Amino acid sequence: MTSNRIKRAIFALGLGAASFTLSACDGVTVGVGYGYDPFYDSMLWNDYYHDVDVDIDVDRPPRPRPPEGKPPARPKPPVGKPPARPRPPTARPPAARPPIHRPAPRPRR
Amino acid sequence: MRIFSGSTLATCAALWIGVVTPVSAETPITYTDAGRALFSFAVPDFWGVRTGGPREIEDTELGDIRGVARVMGIKPVTDDNVWMGFVSPAGVASIDDGLRYLDDIDKFLVKDPTVTSTSDTRIGGLPARVIRGTGTRDGRGINFTATIIDLPKGRVAVVVAILRDGADPTYVDDLNAVFASFRSLQ
Repeated sequence: MTSNRIKRAIFALGLGAASFTLSACDGVTVGVGYGYDPFYDSMLWNDYYHDVDVDIDVDRPPRPRPPEGKPPARPKPPVGKPPARPRPPTARPPAARPPIHRPAPRPRR
Repeated sequence: MRIFSGSTLATCAALWIGVVTPVSAETPITYTDAGRALFSFAVPDFWGVRTGGPREIEDTELGDIRGVARVMGIKPVTDDNVWMGFVSPAGVASIDDGLRYLDDIDKFLVKDPTVTSTSDTRIGGLPARVIRGTGTRDGRGINFTATIIDLPKGRVAVVVAILRDGADPTYVDDLNAVFASFRSLQ
């Protein structure tokens, strides 16, 4: 009787596992991207500052001069350059050469 | 099915539900402006975040450039019917200013908006105004909840939550969980 119960439980759990495994095949990230995002795009756009005359650039102070001399070396970024491509195994065909026995120019008469 | 008689089914169902639905774990997101952290909120599981950033957009007809603050958008990965957006516009310091700001964006967000209720509340311990209403967008009805939260140091957060008609109503809980996780960081 107890073994029967255990068998049933295992069977039911297996069915549950199978259903979740199958549903996992259903793509989760398919089809929804940022291609058309109407609400996002509209939240960007506003008229709030539109009728206010904002002239920030009128009396802008002159830019400070950049410091003299060479700037310090940049730290190396963690992502390195990928290695050069390996040479393809197939060699290039040899360049076409002129035929060895070129016919001699005709003797002048 | 005889094998599902008795408590076996109940036990297994409970086990699976317990395994599969942990109470919406959350990923904290911080909204910053010019290096200053303004507020944070938690994104529900299986939602996507669009961070955005400060930029300028030009009106093609008038040729004037408008500065736009960072807009953060979140929505479920598999569902386009729910959307939530956050923005903290520069120069908008109070709830009243925020209402004027909202007036100037809602005509782009929603067509024919009808406000159904307005209430004052507190979100994340800060005074807030909540405006609920309905409207249409792309020929479909939507429900919107616009919220203005008064942040300290002369800023506000404008939060808009949108549910299109036909959206799964359980998303309301997710949206409210995001509001519940809202915290000012100043």
